[in-house]
Amino acid sequence: MPTLPSLEEIKKEVIDSQIWRSVFRGGLWKDTPRDRSAHIIGNVWLHLHPVRIRKRALEWTYTWGLGGISFALYLILTITGVLLMFYYRPTIDLAYRDIKDLEFAITLGKLMRNMHRWAAQAMVVGVIAHMVSVFLRGAYKKPREFNWSVGVLLLTLTLFLSFTGYLLPWDQLAIWAVTVGTNMAGATPVLGNEGPLGNLVGAHINNDVRFVLLGGTMVGENTLLRFYVMHCVAVPLVVGILLILHFWRIRKDSFSAAPYEPNEEKWEVWPHLVKREYIAAAGCTLFMFVWSIVMNAPLEVIANPNVTPNPSKAPWYFVGLQELLVYFDPWIAGVVMPGLIIVGLMAIPFIDTNPKGVGYYAWKERKFANTGFMLGITMWFTLIAIGYWFRGPNFFWYWPWESWLIPKAAPRLTWNVFGPNPTWRLWCTPNLSAFPLWLGIPVVAGLGAASLLLPKLIQKELDGWKTNLAIVGALALVAAAMRISPLHVSLGQGAWLVAFGWMHFYFGFVMPQRHIRTLDWARYIVTMALVLSTTAVLLKMCARLAFDIKYLITIPGISMNI
Amino acid sequence: MTDNAPTPAPVPQPAAPAPAAKPITRADFLWTGWAMLAAFFGASAAATARFMFPNVIYEPSQKFNAGPAKSYDLGVSIKFLSEQRVWIIRNEKGIYAMWARCTHLGCTPNWWGDQNRFKCPCHGSNYTIAGDVIAGPAPRPLWRCKVELSAKGDLIIDKAVLEDLPGKRELAPYFLEMA
Repeated sequence: MPTLPSLEEIKKEVIDSQIWRSVFRGGLWKDTPRDRSAHIIGNVWLHLHPVRIRKRALEWTYTWGLGGISFALYLILTITGVLLMFYYRPTIDLAYRDIKDLEFAITLGKLMRNMHRWAAQAMVVGVIAHMVSVFLRGAYKKPREFNWSVGVLLLTLTLFLSFTGYLLPWDQLAIWAVTVGTNMAGATPVLGNEGPLGNLVGAHINNDVRFVLLGGTMVGENTLLRFYVMHCVAVPLVVGILLILHFWRIRKDSFSAAPYEPNEEKWEVWPHLVKREYIAAAGCTLFMFVWSIVMNAPLEVIANPNVTPNPSKAPWYFVGLQELLVYFDPWIAGVVMPGLIIVGLMAIPFIDTNPKGVGYYAWKERKFANTGFMLGITMWFTLIAIGYWFRGPNFFWYWPWESWLIPKAAPRLTWNVFGPNPTWRLWCTPNLSAFPLWLGIPVVAGLGAASLLLPKLIQKELDGWKTNLAIVGALALVAAAMRISPLHVSLGQGAWLVAFGWMHFYFGFVMPQRHIRTLDWARYIVTMALVLSTTAVLLKMCARLAFDIKYLITIPGISMNI
Repeated sequence: MTDNAPTPAPVPQPAAPAPAAKPITRADFLWTGWAMLAAFFGASAAATARFMFPNVIYEPSQKFNAGPAKSYDLGVSIKFLSEQRVWIIRNEKGIYAMWARCTHLGCTPNWWGDQNRFKCPCHGSNYTIAGDVIAGPAPRPLWRCKVELSAKGDLIIDKAVLEDLPGKRELAPYFLEMA
């Protein structure tokens, strides 16, 4: 009886076969430095890595692997997405049924859908966390400016992929989120039929940007197909191209922005980095599996284009935007602000001239940059928290401990500060304006120009504590005067005024005056415009929530309401 | 001299030197080429953009029959809300129909009879029974639809013909006077 070959002999036989040698080149693996470098250089999947990498860049705590984790999630999304496509048909009659089939009739269909949904949300978190970590370590500075901008585009596309994705189940969340989203596009200045100046250039319901997104005048069959194609083909293609660019630049910029130390140690990428990447990806996959087994992806009742659920809330990452839409006209909150956020983020590396703090956390050396950025991030997540936990039926303010079943009194009536047909009275009749436009336009323009220029025009550095005290004191005096006056401002309203007014002056005046008044004019103006548009959101929220002001200024003829 | 006498051949004059044609330089040639390439890409982009605008869309008719006009009692009727997205409102003078689309971002508001308001569930806009905004972010009043009476006395509502201007919206064809 012939003896069976041992495992070692089989392994040797297989590896020495012509087929194996043709697929995996490089001869016998002797685990020498030469073997390890050849493995990186000779493998198409690994060759975006360098052969050796600084030990500093390998530490888990340096990046927390956030970029890599985002990419791993993108791969999970691609695989689960392709699998879902085998069963999903993008038509109004079939889409919802196919999702139900995935849930109840198809083996592992529910798991795949859960993973796709949860990985999408995890990727949004991962990409945002990656951005914050890169920002705080100053890793966007020269020579990495362009790659930061590519990253911002990738974040935008991640959000757009989520947006196009949640129309597909054709449930109530889907149709109303997309109705709201595409109506925001319809409010785009000039290009939208409901936007400012739109009617001047002949934008109509069947020729504007909303019409292109919908493929019609209402959310319907064409819309579902368009979003399907964008979600499954067009946008992933662009993301893929940008990812290649993003990774290539990281490689060219030697992976880590951390400051060099003398005689720094370099480690081999195989196995040290590849191993870490593998562990991160495996951990991600495991995490997504467990999450998707434990929790089911939400699915509401089938879409009804005529009846909106009450309240109707966007997925959590867009609830902040939804909350902004309560305070601002759609063209500001839905078009200008997201545009400013994207362009502003992309502009950061080009307006931040501070050479310090490249590649490490630097709170003291980069006070202005870190404060401004974290203010924006904090506001974004605060708005999300408000929209998610503090809004109930009719999108009215409900505290988390209040029952949604108890109806609230009708919201108070709102008024405008400047507009046509002035009453010359504050706290005036609803929907009327207190003061006329001929006064409002110069006052608003003057205040805007003063806020923009004053921090740079005051040459002497103001004392932080004294300035803050003076601002709070002045605001308290104004509040007290308004309380004694016939306006009878309540204590609560006074507190709102002091708190939000102080935040505006601290972030929009004190900080810029101390830190960026020496910037050149171009960079200064761009920075200030971004800072002031952020603090203006705070002021407008205060005006609406505490003082029932709808618009600071309204020019109805051209749909210009601020 | 007779007519058929041969006319003397014109004496050939020394031709005036033709104005020297400006020779096409290599740079001109290349610039023309680049310009044509740019024009091609520009036109392709424009054509692709145009491709995304459908010429024929298959959408339901905006006109519908809402039954006998006399069947509506005073107040807001939501009879056709889930089917046609329209409120039919009867007051002392007559009937008007409002398109149940919030002018903010297009959600469907709900009628709250006890507070006499329409309230939008998406961003909290509030409207009066006449459609005027009294709270929340909506920029303009609700749209009113064209209403007609058929020969049989049925209410014919057309959501494609809309009006929201006070003064105009209270007149025909956006308001149907009833005895």
